Amino acid sequence: MKTTKSESIYRLNCFVENKPGVLARIVGLISGRGYNIQTLNVGPTEDGTVSRMRIDVLATDRVVNQIILQLRNQVNVIEVTSRRQ
Amino acid sequence: MKPSKAVRNGARALVESLERAGVDTVFGYPGGNVLDVFDCLRDSRLRFILNRHEQGAVHCADGYSRATGRPGVVLVTSGPGLTNTITGLGCANMDGVPLVVICGQVELNRIGTDAFQEADTTGLTRAVSKHNFLIKNADEIPETVAQAFYIATHGKPGPVVIDLPCDVQRAATSATYPERISLRAYHPECAASARDVATLAKWLNAAKRPVIYAGGGVIAADAARDLTAMAEKANIPVVTTLMGIGSFDTAHPLAMGMAGIYGTAAAKTALEKADFILALGVRFNDRVTEGAKTSRGVKIVQVDCDPSAIDKNVVVTMGIVADIKDLLTVVASRVKTASHPDWLSVLEALKPIKPKYVPLHRGVIMPQSVIDAVAEATRGRCVLVTDVGQHQMFAARRFPHSRPRRFITSGGMGAMGFGIPAAIGAAIGGAEGPIVAIVGDGGAQMTAEELLLAARERLPIAFIVMNNGTLGMIRQMQKRYFIGDYSNPDFVLLAKAYGLASARVSDPEKLGAAVAKAVRAKKPYLLEVVVDGEATV
Ligand SMILES: Cc1ncc(C[n+]2csc(CCOP(=O)(O)OP(=O)(O)O)c2C)c(N)n1
Repeated sequence: MKTTKSESIYRLNCFVENKPGVLARIVGLISGRGYNIQTLNVGPTEDGTVSRMRIDVLATDRVVNQIILQLRNQVNVIEVTSRRQ
Repeated sequence: MKPSKAVRNGARALVESLERAGVDTVFGYPGGNVLDVFDCLRDSRLRFILNRHEQGAVHCADGYSRATGRPGVVLVTSGPGLTNTITGLGCANMDGVPLVVICGQVELNRIGTDAFQEADTTGLTRAVSKHNFLIKNADEIPETVAQAFYIATHGKPGPVVIDLPCDVQRAATSATYPERISLRAYHPECAASARDVATLAKWLNAAKRPVIYAGGGVIAADAARDLTAMAEKANIPVVTTLMGIGSFDTAHPLAMGMAGIYGTAAAKTALEKADFILALGVRFNDRVTEGAKTSRGVKIVQVDCDPSAIDKNVVVTMGIVADIKDLLTVVASRVKTASHPDWLSVLEALKPIKPKYVPLHRGVIMPQSVIDAVAEATRGRCVLVTDVGQHQMFAARRFPHSRPRRFITSGGMGAMGFGIPAAIGAAIGGAEGPIVAIVGDGGAQMTAEELLLAARERLPIAFIVMNNGTLGMIRQMQKRYFIGDYSNPDFVLLAKAYGLASARVSDPEKLGAAVAKAVRAKKPYLLEVVVDGEATV
């Protein structure tokens, strides 16, 4: 995959409320900023009211930080962490 | 009040919930998929204002909210009713205005079938609202309404949309309004750490050329007085954004005016030459930073209740996520008095805030003089609402703004058509008059239909249409002016048709008297002022 110097793949680990529309909201927030989602993985957790999303994005650390802050601002997002891949 | 346990339909549960949420006024427009709610509105305590277009309804609720600080409420139908709200939602969302917008929807089992007047409300409003809900069960109505008001008014305020299918409006429920609101994942409460407060105080005390850069967040946090106290204590000059206008009295010796491409020289220099910037409730909009992403050598502390505002456009030295009012209160006691005489004299030399202008053509009114005439006729005491364009920038720059929530303008979105309905909303909210709406001849035609409402409700608003015969801001920005065929209606006749008193003035000698008459009319009044079409901001 082609990456510019300062961009790398970050994996965002999100725990979100399992409600309709949450996936669209989160994907929209990332793609709405013009960033491409490389991989997306959504699944249940032991707690049926919570889903887990793993999102890989190619971006700079500054952009990823912004995305994380905006994700945390979402009403249905419980927790977000990220790891550079 | 004891919550009623009675069974009623979803529509009634909605209206009851709005009453419980403290709503007094609902703006909106009916349609087939929201009729059950309208039936219940009829015998509720809520005042319903029938707009003439859903965009007007949202801008009205927005003006109501900006003037009063209370959330505005809108009720519209599905499909076209909802799509007509999009501009209003985007405008409120950008400027952080709390609204709750409720719209009808087709029956649950018809969602997704391209049913008549169906629109994907949650999909369409996602990017222009702070949050949205689709209610699928009438039992969820009271709780959702409570949550919507909480979300709209906490953290960075913004519009929240509730999509309510018509069969859910008709379904029976005994659900009651919650005493407490519990949101699992949304906790916008925030407070500065003692360490951040100490660092901020230390840097402020050490600064040689400090500046406070105040935005709309200061007004939203109700912190204008605290800002003034802080600025006075250490003699710190204050620059505001467009949205921050009103947070600091422009007549104050420390006021440097507005930042940005249409801002003052004093504000520009203050931000450029400062060694310390305390940024309060601003997002470093590109209209101000002109694309600069980092600061050169200057220390910047950014305070905002919204964590995602920090570092968004400019990387700052320190970000503090806190309520601005709380923060200013704790920092004030640690800030030492200072006078910064050299720094202030540099900036003083760049004043006045109100730029001079030269009349371009003999016997033709300059747009600047219209704002000055309004200031004179009202002695600076009015709610000044604007539309978008050159007249907006003249109004922002020249008017003596002294108090918060008295200058109402579409900043982030810059949505033409905002001015007329926003002024109506402010008047309906009971804003202390007079209320003056300054609009361009272009924007006046985008929401002119709402003038009827001003007449019907006998609102004390002076609508001043600055008619320069062109889309002024565009003419000013375009290298080779082209906008196609542009012409205007007769605004005086148009106002008459809507039931307003109206007049036209084109003689500079008569401007003062005409404006004074309009702002003192205490009734809906439209004054068309023919101004020089070649003036630039
Ligand atoms: C809904 C919308 N469409 C287009 C624009 C782009 N725009 C910004 S200012 C302007 C001209 C406004 O003209 P007018 O209302 O006559 O005011 P003036 O600039 O002449 O004071 C236009 C078209 C906008 N801000 N909003």
